[in-house]
Amino acid sequence: MFVGDDRNGSWLTSLVAITLRDFVAAIPARLKGLNWLLSNAGKEGDWFWRWKFRTSDRHVRFNPDKFGWPWFPDTVSWVVPTTFAILALNQLPCSCGGFDLAPSRVDRGVEMLIDRACPGGGWNAGNGVVYGAAVAPHSDDTAIALLALRDRPQDSLLETSLDYLKRTAPTLMAPWSLAWAILALAAHRRPITLLRRALLTFADLVYVEDTSTLALACLALDHEHALINLGVTP
Amino acid sequence: MSITRRDFIIGTTALGAGASVSAPFFLPKYHFNRRPKRSRVAILHAEQYSQELYQVLLKGLQLFPLDVRGKTVVLKPNLVDYLPGDAINTHPTVVLAAVEAFRHLGAKSVVIAEGPGHQRDTQLVLCQGGYEESLRNEKIRFVDLNRDELIRTPLRASYTGMKDLWLPRTVLDADFLVSMPKIKTHHWSGVTLAMKNMFGIVPGARYGWPKNILHWKGIQESILDLCATVPIHFVIADGIIAMEGNGPLNGTPRPLGKIVLANDPVAADATCARLMGFDPKRVLHISEGSRFVGNADPTHIDQAGGAVRPPTTPFRVVPEF
Repeated sequence: MFVGDDRNGSWLTSLVAITLRDFVAAIPARLKGLNWLLSNAGKEGDWFWRWKFRTSDRHVRFNPDKFGWPWFPDTVSWVVPTTFAILALNQLPCSCGGFDLAPSRVDRGVEMLIDRACPGGGWNAGNGVVYGAAVAPHSDDTAIALLALRDRPQDSLLETSLDYLKRTAPTLMAPWSLAWAILALAAHRRPITLLRRALLTFADLVYVEDTSTLALACLALDHEHALINLGVTP
Repeated sequence: MSITRRDFIIGTTALGAGASVSAPFFLPKYHFNRRPKRSRVAILHAEQYSQELYQVLLKGLQLFPLDVRGKTVVLKPNLVDYLPGDAINTHPTVVLAAVEAFRHLGAKSVVIAEGPGHQRDTQLVLCQGGYEESLRNEKIRFVDLNRDELIRTPLRASYTGMKDLWLPRTVLDADFLVSMPKIKTHHWSGVTLAMKNMFGIVPGARYGWPKNILHWKGIQESILDLCATVPIHFVIADGIIAMEGNGPLNGTPRPLGKIVLANDPVAADATCARLMGFDPKRVLHISEGSRFVGNADPTHIDQAGGAVRPPTTPFRVVPEF
């Protein structure tokens, strides 16, 4: 996104960059998009806001030194756009050609995800504690964050988050969350056979009008190719 | 005392500069005045979520001079997320009773539409919140406003400084929009009622989950811009089991035993605030909204049913409010 562009929906830049991975003709546009991602950061990336969050605005508990990407420019970092940006930047073949900042931004994004986890494991949309209350994890946010953490060594956060997802996935009554759970559990080499069967036999799948849910269900049913395209190797 | 030409030029320049700096603070930020001369509110008594709500609601609606015959009615409940045992969302029994009542009153179609602000899996909220089965059985159309067709819409007030927002066609094309909030406290805006409920029409597909752009532009300011731009024709507020404390997500259920109906969102919110034990003037979007959206002053509100009796113990709020 550049001067004069519409900022609305700019969080999709990461997903578009991932989608265009194998299209030679799209290389210039893709590199432009990834460059824009590097220039974009959550508000916490700015020293003034870091200072404000640390000193006066403390209703939401998080470490402002650890920041990722926002849904919308000039707002704070959130779990989903940060994960998508990490997955997109991880697909760069090297940190050369103006992308020397990419590894440190990815590391910072991963640190942000770990910092924002819910106290009992898993992820909500953003922070794990708001006004002193621990928030409950969401299945889809947890699954998405776990995709970005595939290459991390197993630790207690990963274990508790995977346990949460394994426990809740069989109870999910909607294809969107179930599809994300399948992708994340497959990425972390957890069994998904029964979950795939459940997704295939969802009575309502044929009535789903939302194209993003349908696309996601297709990706989950072909999870091996989907994970390769996301740059996540089980 | 004589004024020289030089004094005059300096004086008028200073006055002009002062006016240009201070004018933005005094000029109204709304571009029209929709406030009716009088508004109408009815407070209905209902202790529990039961099948009898349809009759209660139908009788309540008949206290208003409503004509929805042949109209497209869009019901906008408040569905945010699902936590077992919590009073976060508008209860499905109230919404389904409203569908039935508006169908009975001759509406051409009745649609339920919402774009949850926190949970991206709308279908999961519908399933867990008890909506899904009834929607299917009663053949009620639900539109996910987070993923609806969008129209770039100029804002009709300038509290946030934003010029426009992409808003869903389902809401913009509605003949009769009904805001159906849950009566709750909110840790940032004090209360979340009919006006704040409009955050749900801002599409997540454009602005993310939650709709964080609205928080950064100011919650109260965003509420005012949205309510100026998209008229709410009617309010049905679910206060049978309300929420107090650290709302909108982490509060605790508080039985109130009321459903509030109104033909004016400001009158509805002011009444609900009083029922919660708050002075509506303390809530910025209600007090400012009373200048151009609707009436907060009880002398301009006709009480069609029930009386506003503040509770002995006001609703708990976070200390910052």
